[in-house]
Amino acid sequence: MSTHGSRRRFLTHGAAVASSLVMPSFRVAAADPVRMRAVWWGGQDRAKRTNEAIQIFEKQRPDLKIATESTAWADYWTKVATLVAGGNAPDVLQMDYRYLVEYAKRGTLMPLDAFIPKLLDIQDFGANNLDSCKVDGKLYGVNLGINSTATFVDTAAFAKAGLPLPTYQWTWDDMSRMSQEITKSRGKGFWGCMDSGGGEPAFEVFARQHGKDLYTADGKIGVDADLTAAWLDYWQTMRKANGCVPPDVQALDKGSTDSSMLVLGKAAIDLRHSNFLEGFQLAHKEKLGITMYPQTKGGKWGQYIKPSQMMSVAATTKNTDLAVALTNFLVKDPAGTKVLGIERGVPASPAVRKMLSPDLSEVGRAMVDYIALINDKVSPLPPAPPTGAGEIQKLLNRQNQKVGFGQATASVAAKEFVEESKRILG
Amino acid sequence: MTAAVSDSGVRLAAPARARQAKRRVDTRIAGYVFLLPWLVGFFCLTLGPTLSSLYLSLTDFNLLQSPRWIGFSNYVRMFTADPRFYGAVKVTLVYVLCSVPAKLVFALAVAMLLDKGIRGLTVYRALFYLPSLLGASVAIAVLWRQIFSADGIVNAVLALAGFTGPSWISNPDTAIYTLVLLSVWQFGSPMIIFLAGLRQIPQDLYEAASMDGASKWRQFRRITLPLLAPVIFFNLVLQTIDAFKAFTSAFIVSGGTGGPIDSTLFYTLYLYEEGFGNFRMGYASAMAWVLLIVIAVFTAAAFLTSKYWVFYEDDGKR
Repeated sequence: MSTHGSRRRFLTHGAAVASSLVMPSFRVAAADPVRMRAVWWGGQDRAKRTNEAIQIFEKQRPDLKIATESTAWADYWTKVATLVAGGNAPDVLQMDYRYLVEYAKRGTLMPLDAFIPKLLDIQDFGANNLDSCKVDGKLYGVNLGINSTATFVDTAAFAKAGLPLPTYQWTWDDMSRMSQEITKSRGKGFWGCMDSGGGEPAFEVFARQHGKDLYTADGKIGVDADLTAAWLDYWQTMRKANGCVPPDVQALDKGSTDSSMLVLGKAAIDLRHSNFLEGFQLAHKEKLGITMYPQTKGGKWGQYIKPSQMMSVAATTKNTDLAVALTNFLVKDPAGTKVLGIERGVPASPAVRKMLSPDLSEVGRAMVDYIALINDKVSPLPPAPPTGAGEIQKLLNRQNQKVGFGQATASVAAKEFVEESKRILG
Repeated sequence: MTAAVSDSGVRLAAPARARQAKRRVDTRIAGYVFLLPWLVGFFCLTLGPTLSSLYLSLTDFNLLQSPRWIGFSNYVRMFTADPRFYGAVKVTLVYVLCSVPAKLVFALAVAMLLDKGIRGLTVYRALFYLPSLLGASVAIAVLWRQIFSADGIVNAVLALAGFTGPSWISNPDTAIYTLVLLSVWQFGSPMIIFLAGLRQIPQDLYEAASMDGASKWRQFRRITLPLLAPVIFFNLVLQTIDAFKAFTSAFIVSGGTGGPIDSTLFYTLYLYEEGFGNFRMGYASAMAWVLLIVIAVFTAAAFLTSKYWVFYEDDGKR
């Protein structure tokens, strides 16, 4: 790495020498603009809103230029890792709860506690919303919006099958039964439910309903083979009963809005996160409903409220104050938050929520109401996912596919899942 | 290639030999001049990262922190404690062993059809070459996804015939073969080289053979194949190396996962996932070096066996 550093230094020095030789007068005439970079993942709507907000921030400071980039979730982490490794970490980067520990513990992110309240006016977020962005007691991210897991349903499909819309009290058995009826009520190529057996958030909620966290506080796998087998078996039963989409259809779901089973018009029930509701509704012609994930009969509350995303500042940024100011602008300044709206989830600041409230669309209101509804039906935030959690997510998907395609029984796949998880998490 | 062989193959008188030697130096310089762009690129851009990846392969490097020296642990883990590594090796071997022969046979067949002197040859040649220009692109891989999905064109055609096809690209039993097909479809560049090779074969050989009553098949086996052997060899080596390095198609078609159930997890895709997705750049570097060695072994094997089946036209004394 030392060669890398010296090469960079050589290049910058070289460039500086060259430019001072060629155009000495320019330097006096116009000061170099301060350049910063901001990156995030997400769809088109988010890119449009975020770019617009950042442009407003730029206009307030004439010699500031902010380059922005957004990618899909699946490509985002490889991109950020590459940028960081190459010594090109963006000044401001969107962070996820799953990766926060990974990046914070490795010294990539700047602790932000010292900037509160002067540059970062976020005390009104409340202890919960601040603590959920902390690692080892230090704040490494700023909550961009609150969300939780949520079930989206195609209301027209429910009406067609003569079913009432599910309420927050519905159970996994209810979901299975309703899904089968919806499949029956429709022609070929449409099923009741997506196949969420490989979905880590859904499995986590299921495990918590059974009193287990997916990860323990010391970063080990928190579920055993029996519980995993019960989960994989639930979905295998669902598949056999034609309640959910077949595995080769589900395999095309890349986790993005536009490849989801609900938006593609292949299923009526989709297990997601609440902040996706607006994007899903934009892409779906029928009216969508929102409710909690199914419950386990006699079980505990499994869901929790978490930051949907955070903004983090890179430890290597040369413009710390500006980077922090931009972050503050996006979560607290009315000029920025108005543009961003609730696309990233319900804002953590009560003042911002109040300001946005009159202008909310019907979908936006449904989402805010949903978070209000579940507020007393959630359990505390689980321990932060350990390093390697991203791999566990993919592992679960593979094991679920193995069961779906008939390459392993639920109990064998579950045993493999637990063993492999132990190997990954060490 | 041919020049070098004739240089060494023919015995000459002393003065002629001196002249020949001078000419050899001249051609050597010319050769290096033509190689220059590649040499500059190699020494300025490729060599440094290559050597540093050799170092990184002996370290634990998570991209975010400085690498830590761990000796050969990465290599040990690869061969003893990583089932997905073997999975990726298997997928890649299946891909190489299916796609390379199929592609070469197809390219040769098309080249022979075009060699028959049909009208509008240049147009056809360009048309058949087109997939090779497009094939490596992201857009075609996306198109492939559409063609072979559950409600894609392939199944629409099958439905006309009364069959219900699976979703080819998202079924673990068939997904890899759609990628093989995508590779075969890009037969353009070996086809062009075959076509050039076929043009080199003297027509009088065929005329003499048909006068002696040799069938078309016999002519193909006894004249075309042996005289084309150097070209076949060249295409084989190049396509094998390419197939080992295949990445884009699987990355796009599987959405970056190598799925379903790792059935399209090419070696390079797994290498990428380990390095950039799972923060194990040291391990990924080790994988890259193993791949380099494997490709070298395959190429060396091709060269060593070549003397038993590749004959050069002007090298009859062997």
